[in-house]
Amino acid sequence: MEKGIKFREANEEDIEAIVELIIRLKRLNEEFDALLKVRDDIKEQTTIYVKNSLSSNNSFIIVAEHNKKIIGVLKAEIRERLFYYPTKEGYISEFYIMPEYRRRGLGKELLKFSIEKLKEKGAEIVTAEFPTQNKIASDFYAKQGFRSVINIHARQIE
Amino acid sequence: MEDEKDQTQKLYELAINYSKIYKGKISIIPKVPIRDFNDFAIIYTPGIAGVSLRIAKNPDESFELTGRWNTIAIVTDGTRVLGLGNIGPEAALPVMEGKAIIFKYLGGVDAIPLTIKASDPQNFENVVKSLEPSFGGFNMEDIESPKCFYLLEKLSNELNVPIWHDDQQGTAGATLAGLYNALKITDRKIKETRVVLLGSGASNIATAKLLISAGFDAGNLIMIDSKGILHPEREDMDKLMLSNPWKYELAIKTNKDRIKGGIKEALIGSDVLIAASKPGPNTFNKEYIKEMNKDAIVFLLANPIPEIWPWEAKEMGAKIVATGRSDFPNQINNSLIFPSVFRGALDAKSKKISNEMIIEASKELAKYAEEKGLNENYIIPTMNEWEAYPRVAAAVAYKALELGFAREKMSKQEYYEKAKKIIEESRHSLKVLIEKGIIRNYINYL
Repeated sequence: MEKGIKFREANEEDIEAIVELIIRLKRLNEEFDALLKVRDDIKEQTTIYVKNSLSSNNSFIIVAEHNKKIIGVLKAEIRERLFYYPTKEGYISEFYIMPEYRRRGLGKELLKFSIEKLKEKGAEIVTAEFPTQNKIASDFYAKQGFRSVINIHARQIE
Repeated sequence: MEDEKDQTQKLYELAINYSKIYKGKISIIPKVPIRDFNDFAIIYTPGIAGVSLRIAKNPDESFELTGRWNTIAIVTDGTRVLGLGNIGPEAALPVMEGKAIIFKYLGGVDAIPLTIKASDPQNFENVVKSLEPSFGGFNMEDIESPKCFYLLEKLSNELNVPIWHDDQQGTAGATLAGLYNALKITDRKIKETRVVLLGSGASNIATAKLLISAGFDAGNLIMIDSKGILHPEREDMDKLMLSNPWKYELAIKTNKDRIKGGIKEALIGSDVLIAASKPGPNTFNKEYIKEMNKDAIVFLLANPIPEIWPWEAKEMGAKIVATGRSDFPNQINNSLIFPSVFRGALDAKSKKISNEMIIEASKELAKYAEEKGLNENYIIPTMNEWEAYPRVAAAVAYKALELGFAREKMSKQEYYEKAKKIIEESRHSLKVLIEKGIIRNYINYL
């Protein structure tokens, strides 16, 4: 692990920084599909979303910190799979690292760290969500041993 | 300003009339004598089949037995022609014809204009790849950014002959040459020099990359685009990562002090400004130059009108000012670079033109000016100083040899003699053709 970068569970004081990174992630997603157009009230929505996540027992947010600055974030939650085995899923919905900290294995480390946490909480499989067209993400997860299991297809209703 | 417009309009009209008379600027003239029709038995069939059989056995012999060794293609899709934008491949043709003449006159290079109707970058890439057997190199021209970065990168890896994008590398090479001497005059060290690059199009992205290869500290460079100063935390970084990874890379590497804002903020405490943005005048507030360090170096490369007028930059404290124009001192012109870089690359039968070779060209060009005697108004040779060309060619060829790209191995002196002879012959034959009236001189009557 790179010198000076550490991972830890997020707390109330990190909310602002986490919101900023998640908004960056959503704006990146926006580049991939017209149906991922970011809402005008993204900031308010994301703040509520992050607060809820921090107060929930089923989810957690891990931040990557460098020089007291948050430079990466991963949000995950434990979900019950009602129809399938294994029954406990660790679901990663947000994962973002600041541009200058990419391509040095940090994402892999952060993922590993989070999977450990999910395992502690009883997860037997780990899943991740990202836009279909995001080739960088799909390559990354493929390299970490993930495969596409279920697709979400969408279209506008006229 | 009005005068400038009038002048441009006048030149437009002259060029149109000129083109009506000449109907194109280049034509093929044989290099071999034709005494009677019997000669065709060796020029063409049946004799020529012997040559074909040899080349079929060893395709590299096409560099010995045909004109391939000295022939390049000028390729464009017409998507960013001069300052005119996407005017299409047909409209790009007169420009490429002109370019071909500069290649011939200054570098002795036979350059064939090929303007290509290409629907997408892959299509263009495939066309160029298919043309490789005919040419000793390719000069890409007037292709929009960021497509040009993709094509240069991709084709450099795929071709076994040099490929060059003049709007990137030619401008960057000339800029570096001028900068070497400007730094000498103002007693600056490369490592410590702080450079602001205004405009993040093809030429400044290439310049930034070349400066880094030449030993400038990437962190000391500050790049500015239409949205302001580039830095790794800018909001549009992810968008850049997808749309222009070359600019994205530089945004991460440069600006170690994380300066944010616009031109003024960038210039505070800087040593050099390289502006290659939008034509002036008044592209930016000339007062900003005052924010620069003492003895500032200011390159104003927008054409046809520099971002601010050179005298304005001087009034605001710049010590050395260069522009892209021949009617002001210190013209940073890619024509100082590309003819000799290709001359050298072709003479060495180089497989590539690398950044190291461009840096060598810049150094040699700078050295030529230095030997003549530098001053604030002479940091780079002019296009008239043709003796600089074979010297730069030899430097480039020798670098290609050192880097292992050369198929034709000679001493630096031999490369020099070869380049000088070819360039002299090219100029001489043109002179004779004009004297004999074969090239007709109508220019005085326009």
